[in-house]
Amino acid sequence: MSDEALLELRDLQVIYRGRSLLGIGAKPFHAVKGANLTIRAGETLGLVGESGSGKSSIANAVLGLVPAAGGSMRFGDVDLVAMGTRYPPAVRAQIQAVFQDPYSSLNPSMTVEDILTEPLRVHKNMTKAERRARAIELLKLVSLSEEHLGRHPHQFSGGQRQRIAIASALALQPKLIVLDEPVSALDVSTQNQIINLLYERRDALGIAYLLIAHDLALVHHISDRIAVMYLGHIVEQGPADRVYSQPAHPYTRALLDAVPLLDPAEQRARRAKRRTAALPEASRVAEAGCPYRNRCPFAMPRCATEMPPPYPVAGGGVASCFLLDVEGASARAAETELVEP
Amino acid sequence: MSTQSASQPQTLRRPRWRPGASHVVVAIAVFVLTLLAVLAIFADWIAPYDPLHQDLIHALQWPSAAHWLGTDDLGRDVLSRLIYGCRIAVIAAAEGTSIAVLLGVPLGLFIGYRGGWWDWVVMRLVEAIVSIPGIMVAIVIIAILGAGLHRAMIALGILFSTSFLRLARGVVLAEREEVYVRSARVLGASDRRILLRHIFPNIAPPLIVQVTLTVGAVLLAEAGLSFIGLGVQPPQASWGTMLSTASDFMDLNWFLAIPPGIAILVTVLSVNLLGDVLRDSVGRGIAATAEPETPAARYEAAAPAASGDASLPSPRDDEVLRVEGLQVMVASRDGAGEVPVITDLSLSIARGETLGLVGESGSGKTLTGLAILGLTGAGVRTTRGSIRLNGQELRALSGSQIEKVRGNEVAMVFQDPTTSLNPAFTVGSQIAEVVRAKQGMSGRQAWERAVELIHRVGIPRPAERARSYPHELSGGMAQRIAIARALSCNPSLLIADEPTTALDVTVQQEILDLFRDLQDEFGMAMLFVTHDLAVAADICDRISVMYAGEIVEMAEVDALFSSPRHPYTRGLLSAMPHASDRNPPLPTIRGNVPRPGSWPAGCRFSDRCDFRIPACDRRIALAGIDRSVRCIRADELEVELVS
Amino acid sequence: MLRLVTQRLLALVPLLFIVSVLTFSFTSLLPSDPVDLILGDVGTNEQYEMLRERLGLNEPVVTRYFIWLGKALQGDLGTSFFNSVSVMEAVMQRLPVTLSLTAAAALIALVVGIAAGIAAALRPRSWVDRFATLGATFGQAIPNFWFGLILVAIFAVNLRWFPATGFTPITQSPWEWLRSIILPSIALGTASSAAIARQVRSAMVGVLQQDYIRAARAQGLSTRRIIFRHALTNALVPVVAVLSFQITVLLGGALVVEQVFAINGLGTLAIGAVRQQDIPMIQGLVLVMVALVVVVQLLTDIIYGLLNPKARPS
Repeated sequence: MSDEALLELRDLQVIYRGRSLLGIGAKPFHAVKGANLTIRAGETLGLVGESGSGKSSIANAVLGLVPAAGGSMRFGDVDLVAMGTRYPPAVRAQIQAVFQDPYSSLNPSMTVEDILTEPLRVHKNMTKAERRARAIELLKLVSLSEEHLGRHPHQFSGGQRQRIAIASALALQPKLIVLDEPVSALDVSTQNQIINLLYERRDALGIAYLLIAHDLALVHHISDRIAVMYLGHIVEQGPADRVYSQPAHPYTRALLDAVPLLDPAEQRARRAKRRTAALPEASRVAEAGCPYRNRCPFAMPRCATEMPPPYPVAGGGVASCFLLDVEGASARAAETELVEP
Repeated sequence: MSTQSASQPQTLRRPRWRPGASHVVVAIAVFVLTLLAVLAIFADWIAPYDPLHQDLIHALQWPSAAHWLGTDDLGRDVLSRLIYGCRIAVIAAAEGTSIAVLLGVPLGLFIGYRGGWWDWVVMRLVEAIVSIPGIMVAIVIIAILGAGLHRAMIALGILFSTSFLRLARGVVLAEREEVYVRSARVLGASDRRILLRHIFPNIAPPLIVQVTLTVGAVLLAEAGLSFIGLGVQPPQASWGTMLSTASDFMDLNWFLAIPPGIAILVTVLSVNLLGDVLRDSVGRGIAATAEPETPAARYEAAAPAASGDASLPSPRDDEVLRVEGLQVMVASRDGAGEVPVITDLSLSIARGETLGLVGESGSGKTLTGLAILGLTGAGVRTTRGSIRLNGQELRALSGSQIEKVRGNEVAMVFQDPTTSLNPAFTVGSQIAEVVRAKQGMSGRQAWERAVELIHRVGIPRPAERARSYPHELSGGMAQRIAIARALSCNPSLLIADEPTTALDVTVQQEILDLFRDLQDEFGMAMLFVTHDLAVAADICDRISVMYAGEIVEMAEVDALFSSPRHPYTRGLLSAMPHASDRNPPLPTIRGNVPRPGSWPAGCRFSDRCDFRIPACDRRIALAGIDRSVRCIRADELEVELVS
Repeated sequence: MLRLVTQRLLALVPLLFIVSVLTFSFTSLLPSDPVDLILGDVGTNEQYEMLRERLGLNEPVVTRYFIWLGKALQGDLGTSFFNSVSVMEAVMQRLPVTLSLTAAAALIALVVGIAAGIAAALRPRSWVDRFATLGATFGQAIPNFWFGLILVAIFAVNLRWFPATGFTPITQSPWEWLRSIILPSIALGTASSAAIARQVRSAMVGVLQQDYIRAARAQGLSTRRIIFRHALTNALVPVVAVLSFQITVLLGGALVVEQVFAINGLGTLAIGAVRQQDIPMIQGLVLVMVALVVVVQLLTDIIYGLLNPKARPS
C-alpha cells in the first residue's frame, strides 16, 4: 500500500458472461486482464484507450456496477471486491459518477430538484426544506440557478444536463468521482466549459477524478497522471506530461501519432512518412504474449511467448514493453526514436 | 437572387395530425363509452321492458313502435336486452382486465428485475400458454371452473395476464439498461427504491395503452365465448348470447343480428380509438417518412450577386461542384411556418480537391451535403440557390433524373458505418447491387467488381469478407465497405459526412489515409463535412467554416490555421485542447449557438464576439474571392494579432 | 441453415414438455370423475372399480402422465369417453377442415395486410394511409363471428353467390371448396389482416427512416428497388416474429367461426368435449393444436432467420 492511496487496484480482472440461447453458456469475455492502478487523494488519473480496451469496464468495476472476477480493489481501508455489487451506503457516498450521454443519464420523468435531492434522500436525514436548500447550493456550484429546479431534463441543452449530472455527483461530497467520457457528446466549446467546471470543483473540494476518455489531448490537459489501455491491459502509465510528450509504449506512440494536429504541414509530413512504412495486418486477440504484438512495428520473437512486465520509464511511470528491457541485448531498442515534445 | 416560376413546388407535408381530427375522435369515443356506462348503471330505469320477460305471441318481430328493435325468439324486447347487455359488457371488461393487470404486472415486474432462474421458468410457462390458441385455453379453464360470466372472466383474465406480464417485464428490462438507472445504483439507491421510483413511473404510459387494447379484446372474447355457449348463460342478456340466438334464426329474422353486433363493434371501436390516441400522445410517435424531394419548379439561374456577394471565383475548368446562394428552410415545430437553416451558401470544388465543411452541431453542415443530393427529408426544402454538378443544374432535375445522377456522379459516405449498411444483406451483395443497377453489369461481373473494390479499400481476404454481414464487421471495416460502395461507379464528387467521428482514433487515421489514397487514384472531388478542425487540417485542401447556417470563413488550409480571420474560427482554434498548455482553464466561447429561428438579424456570431461594434448588427456579406471572411473587422483584427 | 433448424427444434422441446404437463394437470383438475361420466348412473361398484383399473386411474399422477405421454408420442391419444371413438381418428378427420380454413384466412390476412401496410407507409398521412388505418381499426373491432353472419346474410342468403353453410373438401371439388371457404375465411382473416397491416405500416415507416435506406437513395438506386428489396426485407422481420402468434389466434378464431357456418371442424369437437368433460378428447385436441402451432413456429423461425442475419447462429 502506497502512502495516501485513495484507490488502489491490483491485478483487477473483469469478465462478462456472454449472451446465450436457452441458457446454454456462451463464451465469456475477458474485458480487463490484470490492471494495476493507484489514485491518490485529490489526484486526477486519465484512463485512455480505444473501444474494446476495457476502460469502461474498470469504471464499472470501481463503481460496483459489475463484480470483479479477480484481483483486489481497495478504497482507503475498504476492500471493494469483497462487497461485490452491494456497496454499503457509506462507501457509495464516497464514490460517485458522471456518465457520458447527457441525454440518457438523467431520468426524463424527474425534475431537476428530484434529481439533485435523490442522493440526499437515500443517504441523509434531511427535511424537505434542507434538501431543497442544498439543491440550490449545488446548482450554484455548477453555474445554474434556482429557477431551474422545477424543470425537466429535456428542457436543457447537453452542456447544461451534464452540469446537472455533475451537481448530482457532488451532492454527497465524495472523495472520488468516476467520469466516463463526460464530454465526448458535446461540442468543443461546451466541452471546455465543462472541463473548466471540473477543474474548479476539484481545486475547491480536493476530489480525486478517474477520468475515462478516448481524447488524449483533452486527457493530457486535465490529468495529473495518464494510464493507457489496450485490449484489457494497462500498457503504460505515468505523469501526464511525460506520457504525452515521451510515450514509451509503441501503442501509446501509435495513439499519439494518430491524433491529428492543428498543423496541416505537419500532418502532410506524417502522412508521407506513413506511406513509406509497411502497415502490419491488424488482426486482433493474441492469447499469449504481448496483446499489441500483431500491430506493433517493433515486435520481437519474444513478444509472442512472454507477457512483458511493467518496466520503469525515464521521467516517471512504467510501460509494459520489452523495448524497455535494458538488460536485454536488443540493439533495436536503442535506435527507437522518441517523439519530440 | 433566383426567381421562381408560377408553378409552385409541392406544399409541405405536415408531420402530424391536425389537432382537430384526433380531438374529434377522442370526443366521440369518450361519448360512446360514457353512454355505455350510463346505460349499464341505469339500465333498470332506462330499459322499457324486463329483459327476461317472454311474450311468445310476439316472437321474432321486426322493429315497431312498441319494440324499437323488435323481439327475439322468445318475444323478449331486444332493446331492453341490449341495454342490460351494456351492464354485462362493463362488468366483463372490468373483471377480465383487472384480473389480467393484477396478475400480470406485479409478476412481470418481479421477474424482469430479478431475472435468473425465476425469469426463465415463468417465461417458459408463459410461452407454453401463449402457444395454445387463446380460446382453447379459456375453454379448458371454463371446463374446470364451469361456465358463466364470472368464471369466464377469470379464464380470460388468466389468458390476458400473459401480455401484461410480458409488457411489464419488457419495460423493466429496457429501463434497467438506462444510464439513469445506473446512476441511481451508483448513488446507493436500494433495489426497491429503483424499481418504484425510477422504473415503475415509466411503465404507466405503455400500461395504459395496453389496458385499452385489452378491454377491447376481452369484450370480443366474451362475446365469442357467450356465442358458443360457454360464457354468459341464457337467459342472461349478453350481446354474445343475443347473437347466438340471432344466428339460429337468421332466415326468419335477420335483423336480430344487427343490434348486438353493432353494439359490440361500436364499443370495441371506441375503446381501440381511445387507445390509439393515447398511444400516439404518450409514446414516441414515428415521424413521417422521408419523402423523395419533389423536383423544384424551373427557375432562372442565379445572376451574379447583386448585393455585392463576390463569394466565388469564376468557374474553373476542372470544377466539379458549384453551389451558389443555397438557402434551405425547415418547417417549424408548431407548423406555423418555415425557418431558414442554411442561408446564402456558396462553395466550389475542383477535381482532385478536398473542401472541408467545418462546423459545430446546429451549423447546418450535414444538411448542406444532403441538400446537394436532394435527400433532405420531409419538412425540409431547398428554396433558393443553384447546385451545379459537372455543369448540370441539379435543382432543375426531376426525381428519376436525379436518381441517375446519384451514385454515378455523386456519392455519399455517412457517419455511422454500422447503420448505413443494410443489415439484411451481405456487404458484397450491397456493392454488387449498385454496379449492377447503375452500370448494367451482369451478376458475376458485379460480384467480381465488388471483391475488387473491397480489396482496394484495404480489407484483407476480400472474397471471404464480401460474404459477411454488416454486424459481423468492426466499425473501421464497415466504413471501408461503405466507401467502396460509394466509389463503385466512379463518381466525380464524394460527400463524406463526418465519416470518422464514430471511429477510434487509430482507425480514423487509417480511413483518412485511405480517403487521400483513393482521391489520388480516382481523382474525385471531395466535400468533407466534420466538426473536428484537426481532422480537417489533416485531409482538406481548403476549408469553409460554417456557423449558424452560413459560411463565415473560407481559406486554403495552411492559411486558415496560420492566420484565421473570423473571430469564430479563432475561438474554435484556441478552444481545441492541442492549442493550450496544461492547467490554466481552457478558453471557451461564451454563450451558445443560436438556434434556427432565433438568429440575430446582423452577424449571427455577434452575441458571442469580443470584437463587436454597432455596425455588426447589419447583414454582413462574405467578402473576398480566394480567401473570404464574413466579418467587417477582419482586416483590423489581423493587423492587431500580428503586431 | 441446418444449425438454425436444429437449434429451433431443440428450443421447442421444453415448450412441448411444459404444454403437455400443463394440459395433463389442467384436465386432471376437472371436477368430474371420468368413470362416472362413462358409466353414467348405471354401473355397479364392481364395474366402477374394474373400469378404474382398466383406465389406469389408480396409478399415481406422475405415472399416469408418462403413460399418457408415451402413448401420445406413438399417436395414440386415447378413446373418447363418450362415443368410444379413437381421439386421434376423430381429430384427424376434422383437422384438414380447420386447417384449410385457417390457412385460407392466413393467406388473406398476409396478402391484404402486407399490401395495405406498404401502401399506407409509402404515403403517410395521405388518403390511402388514413383509409387503411381506419379500415384496420374497424377490422380489429368487428367480432369475427358477427362479420360471418353478416356476410352470410348478404352474400349467401341474399345474393346466393356462396353457400351459407357447409364445407366441401378440396379433394372433392376445388371450385366448391373455394366457394365454401371464401366467406368464412374473410370473416376469420379480417382482424388478422388489420393487425398485420398496422405492423407492416409501422415497421416500414421506421425502416424508411434508417440510414441504410438513405444511403441506398444516395447511391441512386431506384425507389422501387429500395422499397421492395431493401426496406421490406427489414420491415417484415418484426411481422414474421409475431406471425406464429397470429396463426395461433386464427386457429382459435376458427373454432368459433366454424359454428357460424356450420363447418364440421375441430371447433364442434372442442365445444362438445368441454361440455361433456371428455378428458381424453380435450387433452388430445390441445396437444394437436399445440403441435400445429409449434410446426408453424418452426417455419416462421426459419423464415425469420432468413430475413434477419443477426438471428442466425454464428
